[in-house]
Amino acid sequence: MFIREADDQDQRRRFSRRALLVGAGQLVALGALASRLYQLQVMDQDRYALLADDNRIASHSLAPERGRILDRNGTVLADNITTYRVSIVPALVSDLRGTLARLARIIPLPADELERLLQRARRQPKNLPLIVNADLSFEQVAEIGLYVPQLPGVQTDTAWRRRYFHGRELGLVTGFVGAIERPALDDDPVVRLPGVRIGKSGVERALEAELRGRGGQIKHEVDARGRIVRVLDVSEPEKGGDVAITLDVELQGQVLARLRKERRAALVALDVGTGDVVAMGSQPAEDPASLDTSAEWREAQNAQDDPLLNRAIQGLYPPGSTFKMVTALAALDAGRVTLRERLDCNGDYPYADQVYRCWKRRGHGKCDLHRALRESCDCYFYEIARRTGIEAISAMGRRLGLGQTWECGIALQRAGILPTPDWKRARFGKPWHGGETLHAGIGQGYVLSTPFQLAVMMARLASGRSVAPSLARPVGTKPAEAGSLGLDPSWLDAVRRGLFAVVNEDGGTGSNAQLQDEAVDHIKVAGKTGTSQVHRASTDRATSELKWEERDHALFVAYAPADRPRYAIAAVIEHAGSGGSTAAPLVRDVLEIILKRDAAARPGRTGRAGQPT
Amino acid sequence: MSADAQAVLQPRALVQRLARVPWPAVLAAIAVAACGAVALYSVAGGTFHPWAERHILRFLLALGLALALAIVPVRIWLAAAYPVYAVALGLLALVPLAGSEAMGARRWLTAGGFSLQPSELMKIAIVLALARYYHWLPPGRRSWPQWMAVPLLMIALPVLLTVRQPDLGTAVLLGALGFGTMFLAGVSPLYFAASAGGIALAWPHLVARLHDYQRRRIEVFLDPEQDPLGAGYHITQSKIALGSGGTSGKGLLQGTQAQLDFVPEKHTDFIFTMIAEEWGFAGGLGLIGLYALLLMALTSMSLACRHQFGRLVIAGAGLMIFVYVFINIAMVAGLVPVVGVPLPLVSYGGTSMFVVLIALGFAMSAHVHRDERMPREDFGPLW
Repeated sequence: MFIREADDQDQRRRFSRRALLVGAGQLVALGALASRLYQLQVMDQDRYALLADDNRIASHSLAPERGRILDRNGTVLADNITTYRVSIVPALVSDLRGTLARLARIIPLPADELERLLQRARRQPKNLPLIVNADLSFEQVAEIGLYVPQLPGVQTDTAWRRRYFHGRELGLVTGFVGAIERPALDDDPVVRLPGVRIGKSGVERALEAELRGRGGQIKHEVDARGRIVRVLDVSEPEKGGDVAITLDVELQGQVLARLRKERRAALVALDVGTGDVVAMGSQPAEDPASLDTSAEWREAQNAQDDPLLNRAIQGLYPPGSTFKMVTALAALDAGRVTLRERLDCNGDYPYADQVYRCWKRRGHGKCDLHRALRESCDCYFYEIARRTGIEAISAMGRRLGLGQTWECGIALQRAGILPTPDWKRARFGKPWHGGETLHAGIGQGYVLSTPFQLAVMMARLASGRSVAPSLARPVGTKPAEAGSLGLDPSWLDAVRRGLFAVVNEDGGTGSNAQLQDEAVDHIKVAGKTGTSQVHRASTDRATSELKWEERDHALFVAYAPADRPRYAIAAVIEHAGSGGSTAAPLVRDVLEIILKRDAAARPGRTGRAGQPT
Repeated sequence: MSADAQAVLQPRALVQRLARVPWPAVLAAIAVAACGAVALYSVAGGTFHPWAERHILRFLLALGLALALAIVPVRIWLAAAYPVYAVALGLLALVPLAGSEAMGARRWLTAGGFSLQPSELMKIAIVLALARYYHWLPPGRRSWPQWMAVPLLMIALPVLLTVRQPDLGTAVLLGALGFGTMFLAGVSPLYFAASAGGIALAWPHLVARLHDYQRRRIEVFLDPEQDPLGAGYHITQSKIALGSGGTSGKGLLQGTQAQLDFVPEKHTDFIFTMIAEEWGFAGGLGLIGLYALLLMALTSMSLACRHQFGRLVIAGAGLMIFVYVFINIAMVAGLVPVVGVPLPLVSYGGTSMFVVLIALGFAMSAHVHRDERMPREDFGPLW
């Protein structure tokens, strides 16, 4: 009995020790939890408060509406229509395939399209919306809206689709838009938004900054499934600015109708006073915005005559004799020739063991500058080019607007080539030959320019000012006034007289450019023919004996009226033989169209030639 | 009915015994459950429906049951200990054969619209059975190896059955309860030191046998950033909720993490996260303090008890509540891996509520009858 009492006492003491130990351990452990809470809630509160806000606040950029493109009279060429989109944020969806299948009961979604979407979802970041259908009717969107509460991650919103008008006349000018392919880090984040399109060519590309507008932002409070609980803050997107192009749909239509008579051709007409592009055509032409499928694209890209190329700004042609004004002014400016000096042409010009030929095999005899321009004597220009040197010639070409591109509202212009010895060394690693200067002097050899540049050259020659072209600009803005070219007026006058003679004097190569339409036949044209060789064979044989692709390119550049120039124009017809016989009539017809329209628009203000207007 | 039983049921005796009920522990339990009701009101977005009202109802029912258990003579519970354990073990063994499956694990027995989780019953039964054993075992023999085989078997059988369900959290909890009770019973500390060493050695082997989702939980626990949107999501979001709550909290119904569903399971296992987000560090600390009061009350009750069975039942109940509380809060605070352990009296759920209050009921019975003379010699090894 006694032993049991002692036993019990011992047991109780032992239990008490252990119970107190365990109890104390429990308090210590709870204290540890409390200190952990202190660490999280008091010491690290700021950090976690930020994370909690990151969680609950979802910001989305809002795409701005793109500005419109208008013609010079305000006719809409490109605007936007509202489309309804449904998209899925894959990060918020546990079963993407199942969700898509449920959507397919509301909107048409073929099985192969569904597979494509699943594939795309694997490639793109999971938190970016995957656009399921961007072209839904209001009724369809409304129906999806009913089911959205049961379809986590599915959202509907509106977007814009670009819509073009008059693509037949202006498709190559306005260009088109598409999704950005590889956004750079410093790009406007707006361009990454699904459905946002950026300009890929033409005006759309050149005036992207103007047209795009500024993205807005919306902050939502969202729950863990990404469902929007309420809107916290919105900054509305800013619509892009409208831009106007200088062309006129109706006039453009008439000009293109004439141009379509040629197989491959390009034409640009400028307002000499302002530099505004009045007409721009490229033949053949396909409206890029009308090509919906990639198959259509491929077909157009591989088509025989390259209908997606805007030859007016992208076609590079040897300017041929239309370059002779550059050579003449370079020589006059450098003092290598005078207006009176007469040089002899017997059809051949020997230089450094080679003979350079004049196009007129029998030769022109004695030529001063006036006659050399009128009859396009090659030997005269070989001689003054040799005297002047390639550097000065190319410099004059640049001064007159060749060999460069302009920020004038149309993208993807090509610069062409004004060769120099440095350029040749960099390009081919070879030294310059004197004979190459002779070729350059008559616009052959390495010299390449676009019809657009040639039109600028004519506007500058006609005005004596450094006219800069302008094709599209924000609505309500005006181009800057052009400054003087800084060329001696007497030399410019001499060249202009030569150009007048080309069209209007006996023996001139461009008499086909004389206006014939009664309404405007009192207006005189000044111009220059050009026939640029693309194949060696054309030297010795008549055009009719040559295959089409071996024939020379025909060029004609002009301005009118000759006495008070208002329009400068340049045209190229590929493989059409001599400029005087094919390009001059084209320019004549187009000038008639433009001038007649002018007369109609401003009755009584166009007087007879030589009278003040 | 025996004279003994009649005496027990006399009104005067009932009042006497009710007067001996440990009211500090009861009040602490009521306060904790009230916190739970407020939290569930907030979880539901400011209504008592569906959780808070049922929580309150269950608590009142379970508290009534606990008080009823408390005034039943502890002698009866002593006698019932082994049969209860046997029934619990039998049901646990039935689970793999007849249990219903949910989320890849078989844990429930369903009969006539009533479902029971035998592993929960076992938490009480294992404490009762071990207390009964050490009440009988002469103190001098408690550390003899041959006298440890039976209690170890008592622990090992249910632990193995729960591991196979698989329910790792409950298995760990059962093991902790069993070994904790053995420690309180006075078994030599050398055994505990030795088994701690053994577990450390066997750890890699144990990890290798874990189910993929269990191993994944441990890996993600060790480095939640490794998968912030997948398995680490719960831990990360819970820590954000706690941290953003700050010192004084975002206010009732204002917890963005909880109210916007970033916190998972916030009416059950993660309810403490919401409490600490909305009530802040002050609220979290207050709730932990209430648990500490409850545990201190139980410890002092166990010290006052004059029989070994009572001491171990009271201390075992305290241990059970402590282990629940600690694992749950440590889990939501990112200190231990995510295991499905509710917060006692606060988390929504009938089973856990009844288990905790039944355990408290047995402990209170031991306290009410703390002076009962139950000489060890009166008991055989089994009855």
